[in-house]
Amino acid sequence: MKFSENQIRLFRNLSVVSGIFTMVIAFTMIMSLIQLKTSDPLEDPALKSIIEQFDKDPENADIAENVRSLDLIARKAYFAARWQLETGSYLLLAGAILFVVFQWLSTGQEKSARGKLPPKPQITEEKERSKKYLIVFSSVFFILAVISSFALRPLLPAPGEAKKGIRSEETGKASAVLPVPDGINYPNFRGEGSRGIAGGEGYPTDWDGNTGKNIKWKVPVPKFGKSSPVIWGDKLFLTGAEGSVFEVYCYDKNTGDLLWTGTGSDFPGASKDVPETDEESGMAIQTPAVNKDAVCAIFANGNLVAYDHNGNLLWAKNLGMPEHTYGYTSSLLIYNDILLVQYDSELRLSVIGFDVKSGKQLWETSRRGKPVNSSPALGMFNGIPQVIINGSPEVTAFDVMTGKELWTINGVVNDVAVSPAVNNNFVYVSANYEALLAIKPDKSGATVGWSDNTYTPDVSSPAATDEFLFISDGTGAIACYKADSKEKLWENYFNSSFYASPIVAGGMVYFLDRDGVMHVVKASATYELVSESSIGEDTDSTPAFSEKRIYIRGEKNLYCISAD
Amino acid sequence: MLHKQKRLKVKYLNSKGKMIKKYSRYLPYFLIAVMLIWHSVLYAQQMRYPRPEFETQYTYPEYQYNYQRAPYWEYLDVAVLIAALSITSWLVIKKRSRQGIMWVSVFSLAYFGFYRQGCICAVGSIQNVSLALFNSDYSIPLSALLFFLIPLIFALFSGRVFCAGVCPLGAIQELTGFKKVKVNPKLEAVLGAIPYVYLGLAVLYSAVGSQFIICRYDPFVGIFRLGGPYTIIIFGALLLITGIYINRPYCRYLCPYGVLQGFFSRFSWKHLTITPAECRNCRLCEPSCPYGVILPSDNLKNTEVTEIGRKMKLIYGALILMMGLSLAYFFYNTAPLLARMDKRVSLAREIRLEKEKGIKAVSEAAQAFNESARTEEELFEEEVAVINRFRAGAPWVGLFLGLSLGIRFYRRIIRHPRTEYEPDRGRCVSCGKCFEYCPVKIKTE
Amino acid sequence: MEKRENNIKSRREFFRKAGRITLAVPLLSIPALLAKKAYSEVYVWQIDPYKCTACGLCKTSCVLTPSAVKCTNAYEMCGYCDFCPGFLRQGARAYDTGAENQLCPVGAIKRKFVEEPYFEYTIDEELCDACGKCVQACSDFGNGSLHLQIMHGLCVNCNQCRIARVCPSDAIKRVPADVPYMSKDLNKSITRKGAAQTKKTES
Repeated sequence: MKFSENQIRLFRNLSVVSGIFTMVIAFTMIMSLIQLKTSDPLEDPALKSIIEQFDKDPENADIAENVRSLDLIARKAYFAARWQLETGSYLLLAGAILFVVFQWLSTGQEKSARGKLPPKPQITEEKERSKKYLIVFSSVFFILAVISSFALRPLLPAPGEAKKGIRSEETGKASAVLPVPDGINYPNFRGEGSRGIAGGEGYPTDWDGNTGKNIKWKVPVPKFGKSSPVIWGDKLFLTGAEGSVFEVYCYDKNTGDLLWTGTGSDFPGASKDVPETDEESGMAIQTPAVNKDAVCAIFANGNLVAYDHNGNLLWAKNLGMPEHTYGYTSSLLIYNDILLVQYDSELRLSVIGFDVKSGKQLWETSRRGKPVNSSPALGMFNGIPQVIINGSPEVTAFDVMTGKELWTINGVVNDVAVSPAVNNNFVYVSANYEALLAIKPDKSGATVGWSDNTYTPDVSSPAATDEFLFISDGTGAIACYKADSKEKLWENYFNSSFYASPIVAGGMVYFLDRDGVMHVVKASATYELVSESSIGEDTDSTPAFSEKRIYIRGEKNLYCISAD
Repeated sequence: MLHKQKRLKVKYLNSKGKMIKKYSRYLPYFLIAVMLIWHSVLYAQQMRYPRPEFETQYTYPEYQYNYQRAPYWEYLDVAVLIAALSITSWLVIKKRSRQGIMWVSVFSLAYFGFYRQGCICAVGSIQNVSLALFNSDYSIPLSALLFFLIPLIFALFSGRVFCAGVCPLGAIQELTGFKKVKVNPKLEAVLGAIPYVYLGLAVLYSAVGSQFIICRYDPFVGIFRLGGPYTIIIFGALLLITGIYINRPYCRYLCPYGVLQGFFSRFSWKHLTITPAECRNCRLCEPSCPYGVILPSDNLKNTEVTEIGRKMKLIYGALILMMGLSLAYFFYNTAPLLARMDKRVSLAREIRLEKEKGIKAVSEAAQAFNESARTEEELFEEEVAVINRFRAGAPWVGLFLGLSLGIRFYRRIIRHPRTEYEPDRGRCVSCGKCFEYCPVKIKTE
Repeated sequence: MEKRENNIKSRREFFRKAGRITLAVPLLSIPALLAKKAYSEVYVWQIDPYKCTACGLCKTSCVLTPSAVKCTNAYEMCGYCDFCPGFLRQGARAYDTGAENQLCPVGAIKRKFVEEPYFEYTIDEELCDACGKCVQACSDFGNGSLHLQIMHGLCVNCNQCRIARVCPSDAIKRVPADVPYMSKDLNKSITRKGAAQTKKTES
């Protein structure tokens, strides 16, 4: 094809025009792209702040209207940018094709002018140059290799690194110790880590609810519940329920004033269903758990709520109505910032870790077997903090941080309701008429250290120190085992039976029976009954210990017992 | 804390005679529980709220899933590839038609580029092949394997005809490069080394199962798809604009597949020739090649070409070997640095930094890791395993780079003088721009 | 001179032939090596909803804008809740379609009344940009029926999925093109669970 001068000039002009067109389109496209990727109109700060405003004043219809209109503008901007990109890309393509075609037509005709040719290369010169390069480059690379061996070798993992890495891991984890009971906070069912040991000392041993002796204060609890009190700082938390109304209570632990009441049944997504269970136990049977940020409470229908210490609802959800023949009863447990929920339902048997502050589910691990009524306890074996669950038929430990199953062993089977007692060497579990087992976790799993069937606690969970194991049971028996053997150091019987779990505090063991009588026994190898004191009211809840005071929830009232 | 079912058992102690009554109360629940256990697998998911039991005639909506074009179409792509390669071979070697090659380019750009959106592509298939060769658990799509092999087979027969007009990346640059700016031969040689490094790293990263870097930095895919990450689109556009003057910059200074094509093309059975008959050394073709791959005949005046002795050859051989081994050792030492691009290694580093120095790990990967059931031990073990894989692979990359550079020098040292103008078979992309510059014509019947 | 020239030429030809044969060997051995592993079915990318953490990278990392990933609802898992946590933002006071109560930034979730107290939630794919906010909320506070899937009508099936490269939980994998979706409905969860159990008994 041959074109005239004029035609070529026309092509050239057209190509310039299409080139400019393409550039403009490209520029606007890049701008829209950057706008879409960097400043998301949907993340508009103005919109965010107005939504915040709206949250503070949810009844204000004007603000709601503002949110709506601003939201509409943001979306319009977003979709306009998207539309620009879509159409722009086709325009860009068209412009580019035109540009190329016209350029091709206008320049393709010219043969490149034959300029001054360089002199022909001299083969010998080229060869000499190549020789020089070969020598230079080989020495440069050699030096590079030598330097790199000094500069970069330390980055290489040593051959045994994989194992070394794990070893250093272990020592790193060993420093992550379990929280020690501190005498002020009593954050879970059975105290810190749900291990049945209270910190501090100088707890009262003598009181009388009928005469008011050593009873610092006594307040009625608004709604019924079998849950036990927990304490953080100066605040004491309890739960109660009546009908389909569930509540969380916060008391001043020094005065007994009810500071605030939070709902456990009225939040978006709450279940209003009340599973048909024994009226005697009620819906507020699980003990709440508390840490520095929040108090979490769960109820028998799976409602799970978290309040901050001032009574503001942080989050709430329903875990689903547990399908459980006897009702769902497992108490909560908090380790650092992780809320551990033992969820027992025929439909879903698991242990779940939540972030205490946000309620975000961190992990969930399924368990095997059938639903039980025990509560989880915290242990530390092989340097890994673990949550230990007395299930049926397996006793299983899960890594608190990840939910990974660490070890499992066949334990007790029938009507499992006793929470494990944990010390530094053993995990003790029990079921009525079956056995009392001491399980020893080791590197490769767990073995049964010893077992006995003289005393088989049924409701009341045992408490263990590194020396002794204390049990109380439904027949009214109390006993002390040596921690590392089935040797019984002492035993005794009382007329009433025990549902509350024994707590070791200040060198004593506190056994609270169903009639409200506390049997205080020295925590030693020989039996020495220190005192027997009654609050004058039936009770099934486990007492709480904090700063030389004991807190007991009776059937109707909450008692603070103090020797001052 | 109280546990209800236990209470039943101890009732005989404080017996009030309610026991049997209590038990019978639970019987229906027990039966329901047994029935539900049967279904428990079904509901093992996190069903917080039960499935509604609709009373109205509500039916579940259809899923809004849609489907791609039928999968067997990928074999049409292979057929199109073979056809395009055959036609280009014929155009380059027999027909000597630059026009024809251009039209094939237009077709390839439209089909492989814009219609198939730059994927499936022979350049990227290098990575699938290397991943499949070194990882037993990856199986390669047959179409990717064919896209890797077929252009190389053609290269062995007729040179880099794939680059000439079939590769969409080549085609888009071929069609947009209409000015010729010659690049200084020394600069050209330095830039020309990049593809070797790129190829080595691409094979390394895919062989250790880390990532496909060729696909990650494919500059034109954004243009083919008319969208994508804007950094890549801008890079592609800049490359195209450069390509108007310095033609085919991607093919010359980046393309890793071009390196392989070059190896095969060097030994090809037939290859594009500048002149259809005998070269008259008229020097007319010299400025025609925009890529500077026309090798001129040598000026043999006043020069005595000497043969190189056996002893010198051995010395050169040793030097080349030293180059290879030095670079191999260098890369072996660099392996941990190279491994940092791997997402598993960078995650492990982030987690370790958080543990040791308290720098909060904020990346999405770190968050996902913290939520997962994986332990740090597992992560660190995997990190060491990945670094070790890099350590095993990296020396081969170094060896390849050192040897190929050494051999390049050696070839020049031992080469024989040229008496004709000929294309550099390794680098010539068979575009046919030189055809019309040659005054020698053969009479066609 | 003439003779020497011919000599060189024939030697060059010889080298070329030898090189051709040596190169043909690996070329033929690669398919031989990979013959067993090459598969002829076509695979496509898909998100495993059970691994996905809805981190939001699907929105930003896809080569397409908007992303080829879209949210879908597994209706058979959905609770049809009035207070759908995927539809309503946390803290919303009224359970209605007001913009001030919606969670979805693009308003892609459509709420339709079915019967008291159930609402149907469907996703307008045209609008959805795969930010995953609703997916996260639904799995944290609801039944987990909302999940992200790669829509194959949009996906260009890159050689290496750009999202897979950054996916923090390795949720994106290749699945056969015949079954290109990993729906989160109940039937699927049986097979998954069943598979997990058989694995356990084997080991």
